[in-house]
Amino acid sequence: MKRCHGLLWVALLLGAVGEPAAGQALRVPMPEPGVPGGRFVIGALSDAKTFNPLMSNETSSTEVSDRLFTALTRFDNLTQQATPGLARRWEASPDGRTWTWRLRRGARFSDGHPITAEDVLFSFAVAYDSLLHQSIYDLLTPYGQKLQVSAPDSYTVVTRSARPHALMLSAVSALRILPRHVLEPAWRAGRFASAYGVDTRPESLVTSGPWTLKQFVPREKTVLGRNRYWFGVDARGRRLPYLDELVYVVVPDENALSLRFRAGELDGIDNVKSEECAALIRDQARGGYVMHDLGPALTSNFIWFNLNTAKRPGGRRPVGASYADPVRYAWFADARFRRAVSMAIDRDAIIRSVFFGQAVKNWSLMTEGYRLFFRPRRPVADFDPAGSRRLLAQLGFRDRDGDGVLEDAGGRPVRFTLKTNANSNARMQMANFVRDDLARVGIQCTVAGVDFTTLINNMREDFDYDAILAGMNGAVPPDPGMCGNFYRSSGLSHFWNIRQPHPETAAEARLDSLFAECLLPRDLAARQRLSSAMDRIIEEQCWVLWLPTMRARLPVRDRFANLQPSILPHRLLWNIETVFVKPRGRR
Amino acid sequence: MRTYVLRRLLQLVPLLLAVVALTFLLLKLAPGDYVTTLAENPQVSTATLEAMRHRFGLDRPWTVQLGLYLRNVLLRLDFGESFSRHQPVLEVLRGGMLHTLLLALAGALVSWGLAIPLGAWAAAHRNRAGDRALSVFAFLGLSVPEMLSGLLLLLFAAHTGGFPVGGMRSLDWEVLPPAGKVLDLLWHLALPALVVGLVPLAGRMRQMRANLLDVLHLDYVTTARAKGLDERTVVMKHALRNALNPMITLFGYTLGSLLSGSLVAEIIFAWPGLGRVTYEAILARDQYLVVGSVLMAALLLVLGNLVADLLLAAADPRIRDD
Repeated sequence: MKRCHGLLWVALLLGAVGEPAAGQALRVPMPEPGVPGGRFVIGALSDAKTFNPLMSNETSSTEVSDRLFTALTRFDNLTQQATPGLARRWEASPDGRTWTWRLRRGARFSDGHPITAEDVLFSFAVAYDSLLHQSIYDLLTPYGQKLQVSAPDSYTVVTRSARPHALMLSAVSALRILPRHVLEPAWRAGRFASAYGVDTRPESLVTSGPWTLKQFVPREKTVLGRNRYWFGVDARGRRLPYLDELVYVVVPDENALSLRFRAGELDGIDNVKSEECAALIRDQARGGYVMHDLGPALTSNFIWFNLNTAKRPGGRRPVGASYADPVRYAWFADARFRRAVSMAIDRDAIIRSVFFGQAVKNWSLMTEGYRLFFRPRRPVADFDPAGSRRLLAQLGFRDRDGDGVLEDAGGRPVRFTLKTNANSNARMQMANFVRDDLARVGIQCTVAGVDFTTLINNMREDFDYDAILAGMNGAVPPDPGMCGNFYRSSGLSHFWNIRQPHPETAAEARLDSLFAECLLPRDLAARQRLSSAMDRIIEEQCWVLWLPTMRARLPVRDRFANLQPSILPHRLLWNIETVFVKPRGRR
Repeated sequence: MRTYVLRRLLQLVPLLLAVVALTFLLLKLAPGDYVTTLAENPQVSTATLEAMRHRFGLDRPWTVQLGLYLRNVLLRLDFGESFSRHQPVLEVLRGGMLHTLLLALAGALVSWGLAIPLGAWAAAHRNRAGDRALSVFAFLGLSVPEMLSGLLLLLFAAHTGGFPVGGMRSLDWEVLPPAGKVLDLLWHLALPALVVGLVPLAGRMRQMRANLLDVLHLDYVTTARAKGLDERTVVMKHALRNALNPMITLFGYTLGSLLSGSLVAEIIFAWPGLGRVTYEAILARDQYLVVGSVLMAALLLVLGNLVADLLLAAADPRIRDD
């Protein structure tokens, strides 16, 4: 009781001063303070596979574990910047190598145990455990080296890296803080991977975030409840979250998901197909919900040609030989051919027909959703069928036998296969549009839909393809520095020619050096210029042919206040701690 | 009889071994593995992926993986661990299996409960309007895909509000009284069971009709009619019983397909069953989970067939004596 009073007092003080005092509660910014009670029910396509934030590999798990475990910082999805979390402030040394994190005093786990630097050290130690192979490992090892982490006292953590890195804040903030007093025995016994699995009894799952696990019913629902000890408060000093319960209901079918929302059984869904937007917008008032426009998504869609060559001796192909058919490789390797193909694609038609108008043209990995790095640009290879035909003619492609298909100088007809994943409706439809557009300039393109794993295997392992239509999901935090696998010629997602030991073209060498600069801690304007320069190179080279990016719209019941859906994940729940049910009089 | 059952059970062992080996082989032949599916995350490096592959033992030849799996299963009844859930396979499968059986049994009840009386009625009223209407209905049922009928029923539920839009239980199921729990479950079960049951209904109804027609042409039925029995007694008492024989065999075989027959309905109606576990496992190449659920389905199929044969023997003395 006494502690409660103390907290209230400090919170009131915070309210008056407006600056966090030394330690204590975190005042979470929100449009308006609310009242406790109620529950929010969200639909999910799949249920969590584990509640262990370090061992989860897919979004259905992380969207739950992100609510259960706090990190050193919190991410504000609206400003797209890190804000204080468990660390109330942090500073970097002038050389950018040493970062000091000041932890919040009085922060507690859901069992009342204090959260201290010991827990942060423990979380780092587990993340660096080379036997576990967590997906966070690469993010936490900038330049391939682990950080040196130490704790001068219980409320200070110091991280040191060999070289300064622009994404240090994001890297450290990605680590979720785990309770050492609960999990250390399991880790020492080699049982960490299965600790905090979905079979954990809810009361024994000790969390550091705003929520605790109340109930998990496999393939049906996950119920989260309030963590009474969480350090976040509102302007009046009331502990957050406001809601009693946050429920994830599993609905594996997308069509069923929106029906269920319409029937009123769900308060929000994180997944709306473009074709349903119009109907959902129309029925807003009657259905008691608001359709939020989040703007263009972080996801980009594009096509690339197979420019991969054999990298290692001893394979079936000599080093340097192309995986694509040599004749086709010669076409694909010419940037002018790639530009001509790009100029044949009618993106407006795709936006109208595939996305029902709910999309925008996009020319960069940094879509409009990347608020800090998006730069509007004049496209160099947008729809221009006449220009495309001219360019192809200049390159010596002509219809020599009058069958409507171009032939190259050697008389070989210009045809190739475009692969994409069959289970994505939008991608299949886009591929069909591209096929028809290309036919109009005399290029014969065959669409092949394959299983997603096969597609990944094609682009990463056996390179058995001519061209692929796929895309990239957005990075979090939304920063070009997170997309090294795409920009760098040695990257695994440098799709057109992955894992080059040395950059094979001058343009790629330039891209590599720009990216390396982009990783240095510079001011934002400088990094924005670098990002823009990288995008310009990619567009000039036409390594990827950009396709439209979907505009995201999400419906949410209007009886909830403070919901601020954003384009970054989690689009609905990122600030669910501050969401409350509007009192009856205000609805 | 007992030696027969024993012999059949012994035959199970090589059969299941072959199923496991074949599943492993197919998983190996399909491109990619569990780790490949993780590569979707743009932040993960090749080295980390390789290290994961090594940890899961996916870098070893499939024959070695199979040998290790069989050893663990036979010596310790250990069916391995799910890659994505870090949980023993049996534990993942256990819950889903009960739900799937519940849905499948309800579906079977719908389809058999309708097929036999409707088929018999159609046979007794052959070539009259009612029979014709039932034929049309049967062929419609055959040709509408489960996906469509499922979504249509869901749409119906959403618009009328008379039925829940998917799910197995209400959100507040835990706080209901016991009777309420059962009613809530049945209320949620109705539409998916209808979808599961409607698909095989047409075939079974036609089968029943044909069987009864065959029997109605036999001499002993003519004798019964000649005795002056009324048509009702002839059909219900004398003909129907003999016409049911092939249906019992058919029923046994449906037991075998219980686990696999409801995947589409499970997905559309958000039914928390085994089909979804298997489907997700296959998509994620969650190797041991796939093998485990295939093994379960195979086991059930074989046992279902055994039950079918036993049922038939119980119903028909001629088979029992063989």
